[in-house]
Amino acid sequence: MIRFEHVVVRYRRATGAAVDDVTFSVPRARVTAVVGPNGSGKSTLVRALLRTVPLASGDIVVDDIPVRSMDRRAAARRVAVVPQREENVFPLPVREFIALGRYPHQDVWRAAIDTDDAAIDRAVRLAGVVPLLDRSTAELSGGEWQRVRIARALAQGADALVLDEPTTFLDIAHEMAMFELFALLAREGQALLVVSHQLNLVARFAHQLVLLHRGRVVAAGSPSDVMRASILEQVYDWPIVITRDPAVGAPSLLPLRRGTHVL
Amino acid sequence: MEMPFVFSRGSLFVLLTVVVAATASCGRERAHADASVLDDFGARVHDGTAHTPARIVSLNPTTTELLFALGAGSRLVGRTHWDVWPDSARFVPDVGDGIRPNIEAVLARHPQLVVLYASADNRPAAQRLRAAGVEVLALKTDGITDFVRATHLLGIATGERAAAATIADTVQRSLDRVRRETATLERPRVVWPVWESPLMVIGGGSYLTQLLEIAGARNIYADISAPSPQVSLEDVIRRAPDAVLVSPEGAARIRTDPAWQAVPAVQHGRVLVIDTSLVLRPSVRLGEAARSLARLLHPGRIP
Amino acid sequence: MRRAGFWTASVLALILLALAAVVYGAVPLSLHDVAAAITGQGDPATIAIVRTLRAPRVLLAILVGAGLGMSGAALQGSLRNALAEPYLLGVSGGAAVGAVCAVALGVSGAAALPLAAFAGAAIATIATLLVARAAGGRADPRVLLMAGVIIGAFANAAIMIALADAPPNRIRGALWWMMGSVADADWTRVAWLFVYVVIGAALLLWFGRDIDVLALGEEPAAGLGLDVERAGRRIFLLSALLAAATVAAAGLVGFVGLVVPHLVRMAGVRRHRTLIAGSALVGGVLVVAADLAARVLRPPAELPLGAVTALIGVPFFLVQLRRLA
Repeated sequence: MIRFEHVVVRYRRATGAAVDDVTFSVPRARVTAVVGPNGSGKSTLVRALLRTVPLASGDIVVDDIPVRSMDRRAAARRVAVVPQREENVFPLPVREFIALGRYPHQDVWRAAIDTDDAAIDRAVRLAGVVPLLDRSTAELSGGEWQRVRIARALAQGADALVLDEPTTFLDIAHEMAMFELFALLAREGQALLVVSHQLNLVARFAHQLVLLHRGRVVAAGSPSDVMRASILEQVYDWPIVITRDPAVGAPSLLPLRRGTHVL
Repeated sequence: MEMPFVFSRGSLFVLLTVVVAATASCGRERAHADASVLDDFGARVHDGTAHTPARIVSLNPTTTELLFALGAGSRLVGRTHWDVWPDSARFVPDVGDGIRPNIEAVLARHPQLVVLYASADNRPAAQRLRAAGVEVLALKTDGITDFVRATHLLGIATGERAAAATIADTVQRSLDRVRRETATLERPRVVWPVWESPLMVIGGGSYLTQLLEIAGARNIYADISAPSPQVSLEDVIRRAPDAVLVSPEGAARIRTDPAWQAVPAVQHGRVLVIDTSLVLRPSVRLGEAARSLARLLHPGRIP
Repeated sequence: MRRAGFWTASVLALILLALAAVVYGAVPLSLHDVAAAITGQGDPATIAIVRTLRAPRVLLAILVGAGLGMSGAALQGSLRNALAEPYLLGVSGGAAVGAVCAVALGVSGAAALPLAAFAGAAIATIATLLVARAAGGRADPRVLLMAGVIIGAFANAAIMIALADAPPNRIRGALWWMMGSVADADWTRVAWLFVYVVIGAALLLWFGRDIDVLALGEEPAAGLGLDVERAGRRIFLLSALLAAATVAAAGLVGFVGLVVPHLVRMAGVRRHRTLIAGSALVGGVLVVAADLAARVLRPPAELPLGAVTALIGVPFFLVQLRRLA
């Protein structure tokens, strides 16, 4: 549904490219995860999708239409992005905050259209934020804030959902709940792109992993294919051991302490 | 051979010192007689009869004009940018502003006497000029009595006491004449706007209010002690002047300004245009100024 | 409900204060006098006072307050900064340079000063945008604010140079203008400011929803399909030019753009369309009240309007600061 085709992004005054010839696709009904160390270009990919940084070359294509030729609102109707950080300078009631997700569907004349309520209800239900609706965004905990932001993205009613580090401030329970939600959404047919450095979580929920290192794709495929000690050690420059617990059903990564490297 | 005390070198020296000291103190005594004459910064006024200052810088339009009237115009080597009366003053070099003057520009003229306007802003300038060895005379020239006193003090400082006395006397008498001629006439109540935005008018602190009294009128703002207070147009309306006195440029604006039409005097056409060259500052022509005002205020009644 | 109470109270306050401002002044008038004068009956002096002096003044005050309030509300939202105000972005500095140059040069003509002020403000606004762009912060509000401060500092230097050589009366006139006043109000001025404020209001309300989205942040806004750079620039220019018009009409009336949106937010208003409308209303109330105070506090002189609004603004900020801490 979303295809990154030979995408190159350069920041001003930077020597190398932040994203260097990255190609992969994000299909429907699947969870695709982009992983990699800090500075590997993960967030830059999201910014390229948001069009807050320009593409030096290559294309990002949504349903066969290049994003750069799309009207921004039209693009937002197809792809909903939840960025990594968001300030909360002017707190709003949660209900109104989520309702802003309908912006791509509205025009200047009508502040609300018929499909709005249904979409907002669905989003609120899926994200599990019904009890928060009457509160102010200033009063939310880290986890609640995340879920409310996801609710807003869901309210956009887009077929694809892109999330940049969605579980940073969440505890175990919330993290798991979030990823279960992603899995549910994928089952319902949405295309999900999750940028995360939580390799273990991602390995359990993602259908496809894309491993970035210094702006390039060094591995792509199923979690079993990508989660190999040889590749990961090279990329993260740290001794790693890969285990596979039958209860978990997916490979897990364990970083070793330096000095106790067991061969 | 031992000399008597009187002739020994040491005692001669002592005697000389005593004699010099005595003469000096005599001189000081004479100066003390004039020491009661202080300028408006409280400094002693040096008598210029013995040592007339040959190079004078005047930093005030009034004193510049006075110096010419005293016959000391040829000794003027510096004036401010705004001193343009009499016409011959234009040939005197321009040294800039009179308030917070450019000390270097003034000293560059090598003056022996600098005449300053006695405003608080000029105290530092007076200090610095004195420190540079120049005699400073600080004079207030705001009101009519100030002007008369300034005339006398300038006369002392330039050694032209007699001329000064004549001028002061003439001005006083011409003013008194006008005062007598208007004494029995009806006194219109007038307002004198001098600036548009903000609206500023001549107030009680200005010599012009005194001139108006002499000319047989009353300034409606005589009760405000500032020389040019800021007031609101509504307040002018409230005080209900009989006439508005204003410069030619001001008259054109006031007559066409719809806001000023709210003033009954303007509505009735009682806008009187003054001769600004005559009345802008206290000068030797005060008498003429008073007479011209009186003629304006009482048409046909003043010769 | 809190919000309904806010609107009623504000409208009532505006009507009452406007009335009071027409009735009170150096010349005591009664309500009856005023009513008669408005319809053209009664003493011609009273009619002139009410129609030529007080009425345009009150209307100009309302328009100035409305313009500044709306400008401040729009800027705070789009710059994501609760302390932003139009004067921080070069508007006041540029307008002051324009006006002071006109005064110092002794330019005459009733329209000269406002035109010069507006031209100065427009140039400074564009300069701010260019400086921000050159600094690389296309969508970063902090860069824009810093550029505004720089342009403002530059403008201050220019003003001081322009005034250094001017005669004292001109300096006084320039200072008076910089302190803000609606004393020079006339119907022509009211008319063109009215047109300006109405157009400005319509445009800002039109783009009000964009501001809601901009207020979320650069990336979230982009994610919702907003062209952040273009929308931000649009709102910035609209707000700045609206503020510039008020400065051209009445000089620098500070704090209104800063304080008014906060007051409206305290009443629970969040959506920017409503916030902008509310700020227009409360802004009008504030400036009319300030002008009334300026006229009656120290007769026969008038206090500068900008000074009175600052006196209101400072305690307001102390209260806000305590709330934060």
